[in-house]
Amino acid sequence: MMVKMTVQGGLIYLTLTLFAATVIARRGGWRAIGNAFWGTGFVAAVASVAWRGLHTGHPPMQNLFEFFLCMAAALWPLSVWSRWRNGLDTTVQDALLGMLILVPAGFVFGEEVRRLPPALQSALFIPHVGSYVAGYVLLARAALMALPLFRRDVADDRMRQAETASRQTAVVGFVLLTLGLFLGSLWGKICWGHYWQFDPKEMWSLATWLVYAGYFHERLAHGVRAPRTLAALLWIGLLFIVLTLTWINLSRLFAGMHNYA
Amino acid sequence: MRKLLNRWTGPAPAAWLCWALSLGAVALAFPGAERAGAWMARPVMQAGVALLALLFGVVGARAVLRRRFDSALLHVGCACVLAGWLMGRHAVRHASPDHPCIGSMVMVDGEESDRLWEGPMLDRSVGRLPFSVRLERFFVERYARNSDDRDAGRDAPVREYRSRVTITEPGRPPYVANVRVNEPVYVRGYHIYQMSWGHSTDRLGRPIVYTVLQVIRDPGLRLVYAGFTLLFAGILFFAWRIFRIQGTSAREVPA
Repeated sequence: MMVKMTVQGGLIYLTLTLFAATVIARRGGWRAIGNAFWGTGFVAAVASVAWRGLHTGHPPMQNLFEFFLCMAAALWPLSVWSRWRNGLDTTVQDALLGMLILVPAGFVFGEEVRRLPPALQSALFIPHVGSYVAGYVLLARAALMALPLFRRDVADDRMRQAETASRQTAVVGFVLLTLGLFLGSLWGKICWGHYWQFDPKEMWSLATWLVYAGYFHERLAHGVRAPRTLAALLWIGLLFIVLTLTWINLSRLFAGMHNYA
Repeated sequence: MRKLLNRWTGPAPAAWLCWALSLGAVALAFPGAERAGAWMARPVMQAGVALLALLFGVVGARAVLRRRFDSALLHVGCACVLAGWLMGRHAVRHASPDHPCIGSMVMVDGEESDRLWEGPMLDRSVGRLPFSVRLERFFVERYARNSDDRDAGRDAPVREYRSRVTITEPGRPPYVANVRVNEPVYVRGYHIYQMSWGHSTDRLGRPIVYTVLQVIRDPGLRLVYAGFTLLFAGILFFAWRIFRIQGTSAREVPA
């Protein structure tokens, strides 16, 4: 945990504050004010990415810190897209997700450029990790969008809308998850000599992928006859993602080839 | 018969199969990579994977007949990946001393060899390669030492290590290649990897630096990559369909 006393840190904390203000304003019923905060938060997030690019002199996509900044800036366009495409208002959940993304960027990741060990010096680093991070963000959004499916009192067309939106978001997340898995195994072949080593993190990622594969099969088999099952599956998938990011990454029980800390 | 096939290759049992496999993958995460790999190398597990590949093939073929090309690409892709993996395992099982599959070579500057070794001390001979490798020179480069390193009283971390080797293949003039981490060299069906390096002493007690190269042959690799490509194309197609059908019917016909 460290606080960044730099322009970069200031921009990140400004964005975080604006995202938090969005949530508070919307929850308090001040819709227009909340939307204004959300839009301003996007401008701050873009400024933070732009500052990073100007400051380092390279496109800000070369490490996880930079990638998280980009993800936070991508949320406002995503929520606008959801409103245009599915007629859903996802502002509050996207702002919460943005805060979740910016906390590691603001307090955990270092701003200085890390001295990478030889194994991580690869053109596949950012595409591999980036696909996963972007996929995880979209799958988290899909789970949040599926929340109305749990309720019994929701109108039929409202439920359909939520189901379609969550499935469309989930399929893009699934594409990115697949891409991340493939790029990872390609990199594994180039770096470790084999594309699949039964490494604990590989196995958990495969398990996550299979949960979502099961979700799409379930949707094909039974349509929307069991909306709660579909929503539950998206939440189980999210649980797997959270486990992969926390327990598997941090526990010594799963020591493996992905330990580069 | 046809009804039975329809029922058992449809998406409903497939969903359950996905979740069962998911639990299996979780179970394999606990024993660690080495034991999980050894477990999957057993004949029973290989037969299970072969059966799964066959099932994917059948589902893919049926999807072609039903003109569901996204599903066809996806399932045939999965079948190819599994079949490619099985081919690799088969090659490992049937490797011979004159056609080895996987092994390592430990070398110091100036040494030449075509022998591969295995075991924790790399003292069990695996076989001979169809070419020889001569280590011209091994390089280790470090990052510039910063204040953190000085405070901790340590060397800066390693930035790069690489082996400059001369490869001699029969019927070809010898040539020089650099083996780096993340940059294997491909020779006659074998990939040569920069695995690790270390310090030791020679017989006279003088310090030496050695390099460890790993050499791997995997005849199933192309099939696995072809499978990845098909699978990914299928998933893109599937995603495109999900976006296209929106608004026409929320409850579309099952595959």
